[in-house]
Amino acid sequence: MKVIKDISIPSIAFALARVPGSNRLLFGGSDFKVYDLDLSASKPEPKALGEHQSYVTGLAVSGKTAVSGGYDGRLIWWDLEARKQIRTIEAHTKWIRKVAISPDGKVVASTGDDMVCRLWDAADGKLLHQLRGHAEKTPHHYPSMLFVCEFSPDGRFVATADKVGHIAIWDTASGKQVKTLEAPGMYTWDPVQRKHSIGGIRSLAFSPDGKYLACGGIGKISNIDHLDGKARIEIFDWQKGEKIHEHADNKFKGLVEHLAFHPKGDWLLGGGGANDGFFLFFDLKSKKAIRQEKAAMHVRSFVLDEKAETLYAAGHGRIQIVDLKS
Amino acid sequence: MALNQRLCGSPLHAIDRRGFLGTAVAGAAAFAADMTQLNVLQHPVLAGELKKQQKRCILLWLAGGASQLETWDPKPGAPTGGPFRAIPTSVPGIHISELMPQMAKRMKHTCIIRSLNTRNGDHGGAAQLMMRGRRDEPNLKYPDLGAVLARELGRRDSQVPDYVSFYFATEGRGMSPGTAGFLGSRYAPMEMYTSMVPENIRRLDGINDLDHKQRAELRDLLSKQFADGRASSSLGSHNEAYQRVRGLMASEKLFDAAQEPQKIRDRYGPTLFGEQVMVARRLIEAGVPFVRVGRAWWDSHGENFETHQELVPELDHVMSALLDDLQERGLLDHTLVITLSEFGRTPQINPSLGRDHFATAWSATLSGCGVKGGSVYGKTDAKGQHVVEGEIGAAQLFATIYRALGINHQKNYYVGSRPVPLTEPGTKPIKAVLA
Repeated sequence: MKVIKDISIPSIAFALARVPGSNRLLFGGSDFKVYDLDLSASKPEPKALGEHQSYVTGLAVSGKTAVSGGYDGRLIWWDLEARKQIRTIEAHTKWIRKVAISPDGKVVASTGDDMVCRLWDAADGKLLHQLRGHAEKTPHHYPSMLFVCEFSPDGRFVATADKVGHIAIWDTASGKQVKTLEAPGMYTWDPVQRKHSIGGIRSLAFSPDGKYLACGGIGKISNIDHLDGKARIEIFDWQKGEKIHEHADNKFKGLVEHLAFHPKGDWLLGGGGANDGFFLFFDLKSKKAIRQEKAAMHVRSFVLDEKAETLYAAGHGRIQIVDLKS
Repeated sequence: MALNQRLCGSPLHAIDRRGFLGTAVAGAAAFAADMTQLNVLQHPVLAGELKKQQKRCILLWLAGGASQLETWDPKPGAPTGGPFRAIPTSVPGIHISELMPQMAKRMKHTCIIRSLNTRNGDHGGAAQLMMRGRRDEPNLKYPDLGAVLARELGRRDSQVPDYVSFYFATEGRGMSPGTAGFLGSRYAPMEMYTSMVPENIRRLDGINDLDHKQRAELRDLLSKQFADGRASSSLGSHNEAYQRVRGLMASEKLFDAAQEPQKIRDRYGPTLFGEQVMVARRLIEAGVPFVRVGRAWWDSHGENFETHQELVPELDHVMSALLDDLQERGLLDHTLVITLSEFGRTPQINPSLGRDHFATAWSATLSGCGVKGGSVYGKTDAKGQHVVEGEIGAAQLFATIYRALGINHQKNYYVGSRPVPLTEPGTKPIKAVLA
């Protein structure tokens, strides 16, 4: 892994997307703004497209349109050519945690702490389905959080996952729940020392053949003041409802914030962090971490190019472009 | 005859006000001797008079350090502001975090102090400072707020506990134990660590009531003989603690949340903190002058916003329920409700999305008795990094609390012949906060 570009930003980037086949990135984060970044420029500088009213936490690109989501509960459609807003929808009553786009670019999924995943027509913003099934409260009577959603490679399914480690898989066309899985090892409730909780599933990825579903987060934590648990990945043969592996990293602590498979399934990549950041390359066949690299920042989101030769990562104060060939 | 035995509810036995005052003031111990009879408080004359005579305090101790930015002093849109919005309150011009919508509706009861600079970001030292209002001297250990209020607001002959402290989480408990300092064990807290009902207050099965009384009399006799010719305030305090044993033994039902109607229990919610605050209300209603409810642990070095998403709505809900409940019972004007931590949290957000310890510019609140509700005192800068108006430390906060409760903050205690003022000499209460 070789860092090609390291771009300092004055905020925390939570969401990152790449316009396919281009050197154009979009990111958004703690300064509430959505930025456009042209990497082919001699000195790439982020240019604001517009802004939300709180942290920007989700971004997805469909053709010449981008959709951003934020803690203000809004989804905003952006025309990337005209560089202006197309529409704004009050999509969730609580924070939007993630925005995903179906592989064909026709359906946008958004998850929020109102514990609903909503599917939207990417073209006109029409609400298609509301996916309800995640509990609003944790077993200890506190508000739960619905952190993530992700489409299967064929777009037929969308998976969602929450704070207590509950995963649901939904049929995209009908909006019906087709499977549930549990990963309670991702959630820590401290009943004795601190009497609150931490954790949750922060990332999901389907394998290219759609057979496996990986989820990422953090393992059990003894001191929940800090992200002081092992980075954790669990992998399911989801249609069988079987967990085939769980990985508690022996090198890195912190949240696995983002997961993605190599397009041919050669490896699974996780990025995340605590006060520092990391990248984990995981081999499904041997069920082992094959490479563990320290990152320059807590990685909040990343994108791979079409051949998985270049990695675009965003996080605390930085955007990095990393060559994976070297 | 205990007071409760004279009240059957019949109009024929209704007590007149003069008669009651004579009984209640001079003979509060008789009322307190059997605190299982909370129904005394349902008698309107008795309840009304009791309420008027005593001031009380409930401290909601947000252990570990709650973030001022996610509660009382939001900075939406600032680089340090975090993701939460500020919402308007029922008092024009005052905004608080969107995590506190219920308190926003009740702001008329509350004064927000946004200008604490206490200069100590260490849990242990800061907790001691904010529990006592000052630092110990090498040879003098100061009483904390609860012990002082137990001394000042408690009735000398009361048999209910004067100072009760709930702190069930283990983290930070050792950093902020209740302490009576030089006031001695008479004012030490009844510490509740694991059980909602005081442990070991029941008479042992192997001892009958007569045995128990006779043992107490023997202990008292020996103690008096030992004390004869000795002048020691701590010895006196020790003996007074024993004299209250039977009253404390009878107080078990006071702590029993199940004694409350389900409607009231529902109002406080299903969490442990809610239940403890409800019991705190029961206690102060029955004459306990000071109750601390420790809600730990707010020390959010990682995922500060998610921690506050859990803990602040709970605080909002429970504090609102408490203020409503006190008001409906006519107790709010006589009860000071404080929210306080050992410090606040840094405006700077760390890579784990945490906030760290910060004692330079943080917030506390005072609600109810003696304070100007619907007000804000002090101001921090746009990023919340410094106090720009009305900076105060622990001593001024404590002087203000004492004055709100009608206590002269310059009063001297004596340790031997040494006068020890309640607050550091020269300390002034914040007039703008006082009603």
